[in-house]
Amino acid sequence: MRMSKYLPSLLPACLTLALAGTAHAQFATTGTTTVSVAIAPEAALQINTGTSTLTNSGTTFNSNYTGTTSLTYKVRTTKVGGSGTITLKVTTDFGPAGGPSVATPPTAGDTLAYTCTVTSPGTGCSGSQTSSTSSSTSVATFGTDAKSASAGNGGSVSWTLTNDPQYSTGTYTATVTFTISAT
Amino acid sequence: MAKMFRRPCRPWLVRLLAGALAIGSGIGGTGSVNQTLNATLQPIAKLSVPASLSLTAGATGFSPFSGTLAVSYRARSTPTGGGTITVRVTSDFLPTGGPSAAAAALTYTCGNASLGTPCSGTQTASTTAQTLVLTLPASACTGGGGSCSASDPASLNVNLSLTDNPSYDTGSYSAQLTFTISAT
Repeated sequence: MRMSKYLPSLLPACLTLALAGTAHAQFATTGTTTVSVAIAPEAALQINTGTSTLTNSGTTFNSNYTGTTSLTYKVRTTKVGGSGTITLKVTTDFGPAGGPSVATPPTAGDTLAYTCTVTSPGTGCSGSQTSSTSSSTSVATFGTDAKSASAGNGGSVSWTLTNDPQYSTGTYTATVTFTISAT
Repeated sequence: MAKMFRRPCRPWLVRLLAGALAIGSGIGGTGSVNQTLNATLQPIAKLSVPASLSLTAGATGFSPFSGTLAVSYRARSTPTGGGTITVRVTSDFLPTGGPSAAAAALTYTCGNASLGTPCSGTQTASTTAQTLVLTLPASACTGGGGSCSASDPASLNVNLSLTDNPSYDTGSYSAQLTFTISAT
């Protein structure tokens, strides 16, 4: 009963003191800060071969056009249950018209195919893959708790483009986009 | 005794007291006395830092985590003295598997200071040694402008940077930084 009698008059003073405590920083000869960071799954890659020129050594259609694209990747996947991928997609088909085409080749069966080489912790794609303009295709996969070297790890894609007599002579260019992801 | 206090004052006593007061006020005059006050101000310095800071990821893959820590401080140094603010990593990042200040993963630069000279270039925070954040000059004082700092408290920003190495395990990590200020 007595406490309740004084409460209305004491309450403003208590509130003032409480607010004063929060409004003013505590000054002392030392001060401690807790620095925190959340390390999330992450991935990045760099294409080392800006332009990959495909060449052939034959003159009688007995060899296809070949070339290599080199890349460096960095990856960190979740410690438990994580994964990751590197994929590629032909985002701009060969041009100008009259030459090879990934989407609409002059002859059925003409392809821009590739094989993959990726250093650990990545696993390169298996066998020969056929690139596509409509879907991403695998270059490499990563398992759980995959961690690349600080400077990154290497990989490469070896291209094979069908040498079809239907192609007009000339120089043709396509754009391939590589994508890396990690969870 | 109790009865005496309860009795009203006698009239003759009241008149006597009133007369004495009147005489006292008539005697008055003016005078001045000098009083020497000595105050010895010792060098002193105190600081305040936020209790916590969350570092944020860089814009591109595996670019460093960063964050800015505002340090507030008040200092007074002697004409022949000075002072410093230093920092040490008193508890390295935990749990293990992530970044480590002992492996030189945590660096900082110092922003402009309203009092004193901030560190220059990139400093590497250490778990074993105090590293410099700011140097206080001789005759430093805080607030009021003039030969003192304009602001009270004085302040500077410490820009922290933590490497983002792919080898770190995913997860949350924390470390403790202890800032120390001194003045002579």
